Amino acid sequence: MVSDVNFGWSSTIVKVILGATKTNGGTRRLSYQIGGGTTLPFLEGTPDFSGPLIAFEICDDPQNWSSIVRNYCQDIVNDCGEWAHAADSVYGADMIRLYLTSTRQRNFSDIASVGKTVESVLSKTSLPLIIEGSNESTIDSEVFLKCGEAGEGERLLLGTAEAGRYRSIAAAAMAYNHSVIAQSPIDVNLAKQLNILLKEIGVARDHIVIDPYTGSLGYGFEYSYSAMERIRFAALKGDADLAMPVICSAIDSLTVKEVRDAEPAIQDDIAVQWEFTTGLAAAAAGAEIICVRHPRTIPLLRKAFTNLKSEKTDMGGQ
Amino acid sequence: MRTVTFIPGYRKIDAEQGSTILDAAQRAGLNINVVCGGQGKCGKCIVYVRSGKTIFDQQKYKRFFTDDELAQGACLACQTTIESDLQVFIPDSTSIQEQKILIDGQETAMEFHPSVRKYYIELQPPTISDPSPDLSRLLWGIQKAGGPSAEKIYAPLEMLRKIPAILRHSEWKATGTVALVPGGYRLVDVQENDTAKRLYGAAVDLGSTTIVVYIWDLVTGKIAGVASNYNRQISCGEDILARVNFARKNGLSKLQALATESINLAITTASNTAGIDREDIYEIVVAGNTVMTHMLLGIDPAYMISEPYVPVVRRALSVSTGRIGITCNPNGGLFVFPAVSDFIGGDIIADILACGMSEKEEISLLIDIGTNFEVVLGNSEWMFSCAGAAGPALEGGEVLFGMRANPGAIEKISIEPGTLNPLYTTINGIKPQGICGSGLIDLLAELLCTCVIDRTGRINTGIANPRIRTNSHFPEYVIEWANRTGIGKDIVITENDIKNLIMSKASVHAACVTLMNQAGINRKEISTIYFAGAFGNYINKKNATIIGLIPEISIDKIVNIGNGAVTGANIALINRRMRKTLDEIACRIAYIELNAESSFMDEYTSGTFLPHTELTLFPMVQKLLDTCRITKE
Repeated sequence: MVSDVNFGWSSTIVKVILGATKTNGGTRRLSYQIGGGTTLPFLEGTPDFSGPLIAFEICDDPQNWSSIVRNYCQDIVNDCGEWAHAADSVYGADMIRLYLTSTRQRNFSDIASVGKTVESVLSKTSLPLIIEGSNESTIDSEVFLKCGEAGEGERLLLGTAEAGRYRSIAAAAMAYNHSVIAQSPIDVNLAKQLNILLKEIGVARDHIVIDPYTGSLGYGFEYSYSAMERIRFAALKGDADLAMPVICSAIDSLTVKEVRDAEPAIQDDIAVQWEFTTGLAAAAAGAEIICVRHPRTIPLLRKAFTNLKSEKTDMGGQ
Repeated sequence: MRTVTFIPGYRKIDAEQGSTILDAAQRAGLNINVVCGGQGKCGKCIVYVRSGKTIFDQQKYKRFFTDDELAQGACLACQTTIESDLQVFIPDSTSIQEQKILIDGQETAMEFHPSVRKYYIELQPPTISDPSPDLSRLLWGIQKAGGPSAEKIYAPLEMLRKIPAILRHSEWKATGTVALVPGGYRLVDVQENDTAKRLYGAAVDLGSTTIVVYIWDLVTGKIAGVASNYNRQISCGEDILARVNFARKNGLSKLQALATESINLAITTASNTAGIDREDIYEIVVAGNTVMTHMLLGIDPAYMISEPYVPVVRRALSVSTGRIGITCNPNGGLFVFPAVSDFIGGDIIADILACGMSEKEEISLLIDIGTNFEVVLGNSEWMFSCAGAAGPALEGGEVLFGMRANPGAIEKISIEPGTLNPLYTTINGIKPQGICGSGLIDLLAELLCTCVIDRTGRINTGIANPRIRTNSHFPEYVIEWANRTGIGKDIVITENDIKNLIMSKASVHAACVTLMNQAGINRKEISTIYFAGAFGNYINKKNATIIGLIPEISIDKIVNIGNGAVTGANIALINRRMRKTLDEIACRIAYIELNAESSFMDEYTSGTFLPHTELTLFPMVQKLLDTCRITKE
């Protein structure tokens, strides 16, 4: 018996391009095209699927970043350009996700520094970039425009648009041809609503990546998984407003109680396991980009994806 | 005893020292706005003490007043005690004004066949050769005059006591009144001479806010008089829950008395206008929600407001009016509509009767919106119903400048694209004081069409227009500038107001969809949507569809039935065949508990979008919005 791995689904996830090479007007050595799926990943008989991209998350002001990561990465965390370079050349990430945490300080006003930070990271790595901007509506517009401008031509992925604040980021993305992360709180309806809002102010469907909000394992991940499943099923059944690739970042993985309370000797291992397991589950749900913060998680995930691909899930067929 | 003088109007009333101003005002017959039932929580009963001594804790209730107002003697009527003779000023905003009460029922081309009839009879006096008893003689007379056969008529003791004197005093010319009651016919009155033309009945819509009474001439089949007034129970709490709690604490008798008093007041007004004697009213038909009718009948409603929400009775009831205290003929009958559940009461059964959906083969959807909403879906074979809390937003509550449909309420509004200037009308045409439900629905639709708000209801603060601004908490749209309002303040709608409205409309729509799913039908199979209730009658059908309050069907298939409760009561009053179907209708309706439907929350979230997350459910709206909003793919 041959199973129908498409389950009667007829639609395709929209393809989104991240990163532009020289031929496309950018300076990246790689350009990814994510999306395009017609079913769930890792099933036997599915078209060739290279596995999700692994994005490594860094920031430009690490004072509130997980001490586990800071201890592992050492001084490099204080220079996000060098950190990005390491993520590319040492940790083996597919993408860099830069959080402009410096903009999240009270009364931040040094907008020019945002541009410099982005430029420095762009110069230190040639991987495609995801940039997380400010978190304060009064400066959003300037910050996002500055990010957009600094990365013009690079097909960045800008984050994070939410139903309550999406206009600034969408404006910057449209002005400089970048894509947008659309985050909604673990709900298929709210995810769809935000996509419609973005569409309505002019963001093209192939410039949107859905962030369903990822709770970490044991701390709500099952809800995220269910929301992701519903989003993907609806998309494959033909709901165009949900047919975008998905990005997952279980950012709480390194701070869950089990990691915090772990014996110092094994704390690092537990943190990595937690991040790995959450990321793997998100990949199984169909996420196209998995974000991690611990460098050791990257090779584990990559190996798991390879194994899953080579021993694709038997659908129960003989 | 102290004397309190209320101005304007100079109404005087004696009051005990230490009693509250609210109490005095209510006894003086002044309707004071007390949303919380006099607990000092709502801050609506603001009055100004012009002279005299009172005790009022200004510090405790400071949040309701400006310093200026306190300096002028402002206080809460419910929390201020009388210590000397007083002069108290009641501002307009505090007194409950005559609300635009919907008394227009639907035109009813209903067969006239009332349950109560009068028969004028001229009898032969008894003789030694014809010694049959007075009663038999009377009942045979009635039978001969076209009434029911004598042996089928039951005559109660009080009639038997009256008969001998009346028959002899009038020299055997008398009028008998016979009513059809459950179980047969009943002789309800015997009068001297010919009074057959004086036979009236009253249909009552017993609402939690308003009472509407229609008096019918049951001989000619014409409406003799109409009246309405506030349900006086409002002084014990604005919403039903507050009143049930009041009854739990203070006993049911006050609420029962207030319900009766409110009905009596309306009956008196209507009778006076019609020039009829209330003694000639022999039948009262009451349609009201389940809690209201329980209270009217003096049945404890306490068990209805908590799980598992059980009413004491749901079938139709007939009792003698004298036992309830209704001022009409003391032997008259009071018929109370049956209910389906705590939340689907006799008022909804009356709506169903009024729109006729229970007799049609096609599927209809009936929606009655107030603070709570009720939805019924079905046809002549099956029916599903549900009820839920829409929140007070659609009635003007939880909206900064929301108000009931009182004079000065903006009831219709449109917004000019580009300038974003509004064009509106207010009730009674006076300067605006706020916005009522129908105005809010218009406003939401217009703000959406002019792109002031996005589909989640968030105001686009990027628009450069003085009407769009951000106050200390939320972005807002200025509907009217202070100098052009009747309240001296800018009238605005805030993003938070809009959010509340969207939540309200989402729950109504989700309830409709839940019933549709239960029945396994889609919106295209609905032949008609009926809007019932006061609010429904003033609703702009197109705008209600644009915001996704109701499933999208062709606008001309949406029908406002107006005050369906009173129309239904009218039908039941004048047509005994229809009245008999009520219990059967009530039994046909399956009640769906929304809290127990796992899909309801999902449907609700889907509905928190304008018009809806599933745009394919609103193809006409989507097409319309495409032309007025900028859409790029």
